Amino acid sequence: VSARPEPLSFPTEAPSPGPELHLVTFALDREEFAIPIGQVREVIRVAEITRVPQARAHVRGVTNLRGRILAVIEIRSRMGLLPAEITPKSRVVVVGVGDRTLGILVDAVSQVVKVPATTVSPAPEEVLSPGAGYITGVARWNSRLIMLLDLEKMLLLPE
Amino acid sequence: MATDENAFGELIQDYIIECLPLAEQVGDAFIELERRWREGDAGDDLLVSLKGRLHTVKGNSAMMGLPPMQTVAHALEDVCAFLDAEPAMRGEEAGALLVRGSGLLIDLIRTAAEGADPKPAGRFVRRVRTFLARGRKIKAPSKRPQLLLERRRGERRSSEAEARPTEGSSGVVRVDFRRLDAMLEVLGEGMIEQAAVAELYRGLARKTRATDELVDLDRAIIALQKTMKRLEGILMETRLIPISSVFGRFPRLVRDLAQAKQKRVHVVTSGGDIPLDKAILDRIAEPLVHLLTNAVIHGIEGPQERARAGKPAEGRLDLRVSTESGRVIIRLTDDGRGLDDSRILAKAQSLGFDLPSMDPDQLRSLIFLPGFTTADRVSSLAGRGVGLDVVANTVHELGGTIEVESRPGQGVTFTLSLPLTLAILRSLIVEVDRERYAVPISHVAATVRTEPNTIQEMNEKGVALWRGDLIQVSDGGTLLGTGAGPNASRRFYVVISMGSRRRGILVDRLIGHQDIVVKSLDPMVGRPEVVSGTTILGDGKVACILDAVRILEQRMSA
Repeated sequence: VSARPEPLSFPTEAPSPGPELHLVTFALDREEFAIPIGQVREVIRVAEITRVPQARAHVRGVTNLRGRILAVIEIRSRMGLLPAEITPKSRVVVVGVGDRTLGILVDAVSQVVKVPATTVSPAPEEVLSPGAGYITGVARWNSRLIMLLDLEKMLLLPE
Repeated sequence: MATDENAFGELIQDYIIECLPLAEQVGDAFIELERRWREGDAGDDLLVSLKGRLHTVKGNSAMMGLPPMQTVAHALEDVCAFLDAEPAMRGEEAGALLVRGSGLLIDLIRTAAEGADPKPAGRFVRRVRTFLARGRKIKAPSKRPQLLLERRRGERRSSEAEARPTEGSSGVVRVDFRRLDAMLEVLGEGMIEQAAVAELYRGLARKTRATDELVDLDRAIIALQKTMKRLEGILMETRLIPISSVFGRFPRLVRDLAQAKQKRVHVVTSGGDIPLDKAILDRIAEPLVHLLTNAVIHGIEGPQERARAGKPAEGRLDLRVSTESGRVIIRLTDDGRGLDDSRILAKAQSLGFDLPSMDPDQLRSLIFLPGFTTADRVSSLAGRGVGLDVVANTVHELGGTIEVESRPGQGVTFTLSLPLTLAILRSLIVEVDRERYAVPISHVAATVRTEPNTIQEMNEKGVALWRGDLIQVSDGGTLLGTGAGPNASRRFYVVISMGSRRRGILVDRLIGHQDIVVKSLDPMVGRPEVVSGTTILGDGKVACILDAVRILEQRMSA
């Protein structure tokens, strides 16, 4: 067994120490957040978002996603931030939550990353404002601080 | 294995599709016969007309290996043949037996896919035997029924031919309705794309001088629009089925309910051949059943009470369907005691409604509100936890309206107005504070250009004189919450109407008429009162569809 050649590996990548989280990260007010890549269907540029009168709180409006109507959630206001200003960097992350497809409006999408699970620690008390139970943890990785979001907790509010 | 099961499942579905309507027709005819016999009419014509149908049901049941259905159909045939020969035996008992048997047959066929329980069929056949035996004892033994039983084998071919005259050569195919839904969806996409092309053309035409190519393009777009319109028409027609397909079970339902309540009620239907989109029909059946049930249980009085009121002992339910300006109108009228106005008044008072400002019709329409029930006790027949509010909700979701009219001591009329089809809605596109909205044409009574002083203030509400009447005119921006002040000067108002209700809405621009494809609103967005759905306009942007019905029902001060 020991005579076997080592499996090929890319020398630039540090040997993976264990399980990894595959995440999509995005920015809100210069802070970095992430959701599991499995929940992300696609990331689109912001087309016109139509406001819906008397919509629920934190609903930015609806937009046309290739002939389907996509609800766009203003997660900034859900997190207690001011509503987003649409800039050329703004994106709608199309996510699957439960059996729904929704869009979440973010300031910018940075990248897809693989983060070792060991870098994740529970969110410190001070970042948890009341009702912020949707932050499930914080990854300290490559001198970045990435907050992990639980979309179900965040978006599927009781009607 | 699985494919075998599927094939069998399909066969069973075919069996149900073919036999259920036949059994229902037979059942309706028996109910009519029961009534006629009570009135002393022999009903010979009806009795004869049933033979072919029963025979087809029997034959198909035998072919599918469904003995309970086969024996029940057979027993009913025997009873018919016997009664045909022995008019003296026609009457209440025979009628009840036939109605019961056809009810059993309908139930058995409806649940054929689940595997029928043969026990009730056996019980019914025993009842038939007793009836036939008693009949023969009373009259001198007659040869004819015996004869019929023997003759049946030879008779088979001819009545089979009569029952399905053109199968195989009729050019009719059976299509899964989901395919029609899919076609409609694709058509909708095509219409949006076509609107997008037209929009691009207009942009191009503004920038460039008119060239031959541009003129040709314009012609091509107009031709495409016409073709799409025709395609839409054909597809819509394909989706239509006669409304009688849901009426089929009503006479039986009413009869059974009435019997359980020791009442007698006769259902008269008309306009059953009027077609409606299947998607609407599927959803309107239950509300109609609810209204019928209410009428039988709460509306129509018992025979004694009716006698005291000088009414015939038998109550009457009229179910009339008609078409009016592109909509289907369903009117359900009973000749019962009418709504209990005093109880409605008391209930409205206890809920804190502003009674002096309401006329009797407005007061009566409160019965459609959730939690507004005036029945004292829950009846096991009427009260299945479904109220008139659910009926009204379903009707509204379908883009329809419901109104009630009550004549104390004389009866109640419910009037439902429904669109012929759901998916494509002719709309007026308007603009309010740079947002565009679609207003269904069916609820647009007029568009009016505002002049200075058109809108007057009265009780802090805007009003305008329109066709001789003062109507409330609300600011579109306020209604839709655009944030603009209520004093924005707008150039038009749109008069929306439903029945006798009217209301003006001030808008900035009238953009034009367009056929829009309705897309429902994700519940995640909420349940706005002023918006019923969304649509995609020619430029690809989403616009909300105004819910004219709910806006008319609101008593907002805006």
